Amino acid sequence: MSSKIAVMADPDTVTGFMLGGIKEGFPVKNMEEAGETLKKLAKEYSIIITTEKIGDNFRETIDKISSESALPMIIEIPDKKGSIDRESDPIRDLIKRVIGVEMVE
Amino acid sequence: MAQEMIEGINPTRMELLKLKQREKLAVKGHSLLKEKRNALIMEFFNILERVKGSRENVNLKLEEAYQDLTAAQVSMGDLAVRKAAMSVTESVNVDIDARSVMGVVVPVIDSETKKRTITERGYGFMDTSVKVDEAAKKFEESIQLIIELGEIEKTIMLLAGEIESTKRRVNALEHIIIPRIENTVKYIEMRLEEMERENFVRLKMIKKTIETEEVNG
Repeated sequence: MSSKIAVMADPDTVTGFMLGGIKEGFPVKNMEEAGETLKKLAKEYSIIITTEKIGDNFRETIDKISSESALPMIIEIPDKKGSIDRESDPIRDLIKRVIGVEMVE
Repeated sequence: MAQEMIEGINPTRMELLKLKQREKLAVKGHSLLKEKRNALIMEFFNILERVKGSRENVNLKLEEAYQDLTAAQVSMGDLAVRKAAMSVTESVNVDIDARSVMGVVVPVIDSETKKRTITERGYGFMDTSVKVDEAAKKFEESIQLIIELGEIEKTIMLLAGEIESTKRRVNALEHIIIPRIENTVKYIEMRLEEMERENFVRLKMIKKTIETEEVNG
């Protein structure tokens, strides 16, 4: 099964990824529309690349989508301004909760 | 210690047999679940080996890519870069398969990013800067890394969820359900023994009465 990849991010990031060879770019102009776009994309694409900023804005939607089934996978990447400094890495927290000790440096 | 028991159980032999059956089943289920949990955790550790540093790799690669992109935008203008981006041909080919780890379906991504030469990318050379080529190359590489990262993180999330629920079930069986059944079994056995003794005493008493009646009569 061949799967489709989409990028949903700010215009610059979308341009970059289109240069890299992903044809389905969805520039986000304002945050209100992004939530709707995200829901629509989740039905159609199996990999969605988005930025951490958008991810933070739609944390609930993303959590809901990714907990429902294995696909689509939503990957958050830092945007042009660099990654957001978070107090904790969600993956690391998860690992800590499951294993009980800090594993990944 | 107040011992937890199953409520509303009649101390009869029928119930005792039924409970013993249930206890056997619960113990069996407990050991199976424990094995499942251990296997999942082992798998989890394997994945953890792969996640180390992959987030950082992606971030570093992307940072370089953004720098080149910005440089291209500066030298050519925003619009021209976007125009070039529009005409780039598709490069990524992704196959998603599912693999089952102890009943948890995790994705396995088989991605294939073509390493393209400059001519294959599909934009013209007349009006593009060399920075565009650099940026395109770096973005191609980062896409590959990002897809890999996505697969790993997704797998971790799915496995973690399953491990948590399995853990909870193992603990519930171990600390609540099995002790409760054991206590109830013990209670029924004690009640039955007590009834036996009562009956014994009763029989003795009756025998005694009959004997005295016979002597007197």
